[in-house]
Amino acid sequence: MSASPSPASTAAPTISRDVAARLAAVVGERHAIVDPAELRTYECDGLMSYRVMPGIVVLPGSTEEVVRVVRIAREANLPIVPRGSGTGLSGGALPVPGCVVVGLSRMKKILEVDLENGWIRVQPGVANLDVSKAIGAAGYYYAPDPSSQSVCSIGGNIAENSGGAHCLKYGFTSNHVLGARVVLGDGSVVDLGGPVLDTPGYDLLGVLVGSEGMVGIVTEVVLRVLRKPQATRTFFATFPSTDEAGNAVSAIIASGIVPAAIEMMDRLAIEAAKAATGLDWPDVGAVLLMDADGPEAEVEVTADNAVELARAAGAIEIKRPRDEAERQLMWKGRKSAFAAVGRISPNYFVQDGVIPRSEIARVLREIDAMTRKAGLRVANVFHAGDGNLHPLILYDAKVPGQEQAAEEIGGEILRMCIRYGGSITGEHGVGADKAIYMAEMFSEADLETMAMVRCAFDPEVRFNPSKVFPTPRLCGDRPGPYRPHPVELSGEAWRE
Amino acid sequence: MSAFSRPAAEGDAVLGVRPETVFEPATVEEAVEVVAGSARDGKALAFVGGGTDLGLGAPPKRLDAVVKTGRLARVVEHAPSDQIVIVEAGLTLGELQKALVSHRQRLALDPPLPERKTLGGIIAANAYGPRRARFGSVRDLLIGISFVRADGTVAHGGGKVVKNVAGFDLPKLMVGSLGTLGLIATATFRLHPLTEEEVTLLLRGRTAAGVRALVAAVRKAQLEPTSVVAAWREADRFDVAVRFEGFRAGVAEQRERLAGLVLGQAGGACEALDETSARAFWSRHDELRTRPALRAKLTALPTHVETIAGNVLPGLLGALDNPSFLWYATLGIGFLAGTPADAGVAAAAIQSARQKVSGPGGSLTLEAAPAAIRERLDVWGPPPPSLPLMQSVKNRFDPDARLAPGRFVGGI
Repeated sequence: MSASPSPASTAAPTISRDVAARLAAVVGERHAIVDPAELRTYECDGLMSYRVMPGIVVLPGSTEEVVRVVRIAREANLPIVPRGSGTGLSGGALPVPGCVVVGLSRMKKILEVDLENGWIRVQPGVANLDVSKAIGAAGYYYAPDPSSQSVCSIGGNIAENSGGAHCLKYGFTSNHVLGARVVLGDGSVVDLGGPVLDTPGYDLLGVLVGSEGMVGIVTEVVLRVLRKPQATRTFFATFPSTDEAGNAVSAIIASGIVPAAIEMMDRLAIEAAKAATGLDWPDVGAVLLMDADGPEAEVEVTADNAVELARAAGAIEIKRPRDEAERQLMWKGRKSAFAAVGRISPNYFVQDGVIPRSEIARVLREIDAMTRKAGLRVANVFHAGDGNLHPLILYDAKVPGQEQAAEEIGGEILRMCIRYGGSITGEHGVGADKAIYMAEMFSEADLETMAMVRCAFDPEVRFNPSKVFPTPRLCGDRPGPYRPHPVELSGEAWRE
Repeated sequence: MSAFSRPAAEGDAVLGVRPETVFEPATVEEAVEVVAGSARDGKALAFVGGGTDLGLGAPPKRLDAVVKTGRLARVVEHAPSDQIVIVEAGLTLGELQKALVSHRQRLALDPPLPERKTLGGIIAANAYGPRRARFGSVRDLLIGISFVRADGTVAHGGGKVVKNVAGFDLPKLMVGSLGTLGLIATATFRLHPLTEEEVTLLLRGRTAAGVRALVAAVRKAQLEPTSVVAAWREADRFDVAVRFEGFRAGVAEQRERLAGLVLGQAGGACEALDETSARAFWSRHDELRTRPALRAKLTALPTHVETIAGNVLPGLLGALDNPSFLWYATLGIGFLAGTPADAGVAAAAIQSARQKVSGPGGSLTLEAAPAAIRERLDVWGPPPPSLPLMQSVKNRFDPDARLAPGRFVGGI
């Protein structure tokens, strides 16, 4: 692609008073933030190690307001960073200097519910869990369940293609979004998909989900919602080490069982969860927490088989909750594990990477060896069923060198994921944090192709510039026709 | 001409447009050579897998060469314990399933003609069958892809682990793109275990309202069928096939509960088909989706089945000889088929039906039609509002419009 200057990403932009006033006139004074103290809230997302001051934050209340904000930003040649609840862990909502942050937190209405056809239309600021809450009494729910689901927004979930513990069986956000209304960089509004399946044409909705705020601003979403399963069976199994637990996971999956979720925690994560919740968990090398769900008779067989396999793989003890309250308690231990690590270490990094699940035992040993060598500790709490690791690298920022060592280990873990044929991110996204690793996972041609997709949506690179791609990329006005290089014509070189 | 090319014959035509040359590369490298060569020479290409879905879309406006993928037919990698498989695009679904069966696994896609349909073709045409009700369509099972761009560059997207959010979702972009964005070279799929037991129950002679009520009742009862297909029989009557798959005990229990649900209802007979009858039902389904000269896909909300049966179908069915209609009742997707008695009458019926379904967000696209019908209407129907974005994507990927030009939605 030709590299012509792209206005949105070159000059360091500042917000003039005039532009700020025009933006405030659109969203209302109260919803246009320029005060430096107030702007601080928005200078980072859940990845707090990176901070950049935005030029202005606007909180529009409607699609129409978003359109007007985008038009003003475009006229003033300012970059736009969309933002949901700010819980992202990869810096996807990290501002770029002097940008317009468009926060969707005020747009949290549920617009339409059609349970008989299995969908719901919502605004992007609705919290993930609030979707399930709105339809729970009727026996329905929204399947993707990121750990932050009580606060993270549907719009943010779309940007990151969020997962969660139960996506092993039910899939990720992209499998549950049926339609979206999107405001593009030129201020036009386009509907992609909808409640009726198979809209003719390219699957642009599939491209939108997981695009990390780089193609436009989503202002309405149609989500698929599911009937709750008839029964859920949970078991909690303890193991001497992650080796046996990892083998149990492999055996369960290989036997033809599709669990709703299988989560693993190692010794350190268990210790942390106990400290934080007071749970009476045993002192063991690893635990597995598994959910099977579906029609009752089917689930009985599934759960019985899985328990047998866990036992055969070397489980020390297997517990099944007596009632829903006890089940919730088991899950509470798992869900609180991230935050709980704060109890046993002054600082920690959360990493997110994926490996083929059959390699879990081996990879955990490697990670352990790596961190020991660096004089640090690592706690593992993760989605074992799909090989989605979440190593928590513990360190003390007050000890010189530890923070850097922890960061280096985080990077090494990602490289190891790539080496094992996995991915640098399973659910947190690339954002600002992992852009440099994209070049290790993908070839230059792959990245160029992804940039072509982005440019098709946002040729001015207005939205979330400087994320995901390891090197800044501009879009030529129009991609020119292919012109072979003279060397190629002479047969001395061949394109691949 | 290269070692893997030959002059085209009549049978190599794409919707009546005959190319000069046919390329049959046996490796991805050879495929790259073909596409890069065509970029140099400004030649227009079309990509052909098993050739079962060539009736989709409009004839190409320009076609110099066809690239057939049939010799790109290897299983590149099967990791049974990770339940993924990487294949070359020209492998047929039937061959893949054969390779997986000894590991008690399958790709949970069941479009008709698996022995001929290639995986690249299945992706490009977004082909699926009744099991979509439980397992989703190609987009839900495809986790990685490599394809040759119009300029001959090989690009990858996704990966070989199911959970992966790194970068734009190129696999989904290729689903249903009908060869207009690139030549699919390899694909990586998520696999499912083969189930222990399968049963098809047939509920005969239900009205459209009865079909709708059945879907609601199944959901209320938290039953989880893998397919629910209502086959139109006559007037306002459908025979509904409900398939359960899973462990033996689970299938038996779901089957009994369904029988209990419909017991006492009008047309409440619920017959469990024996293996032979079940196979006959599903192969009849496959025939209706592949044989008739005119085939169309109609989409709507599942609850619109009554409106469709009452207002949309009569006109369509009346314009066809040997008409048939299969309704994927939980999905809201119908497949109409038959032989048009009079092209003008059939085209008018399709136009009228199109207007009726497009209001509430539905669509009616032709999947196969005689030339006399194609001349009278756009096979895709009115393009969706996102057409300018689609054109923008096409322009980035194929700026010279050399990949199946004119085949796709809105003339792309």
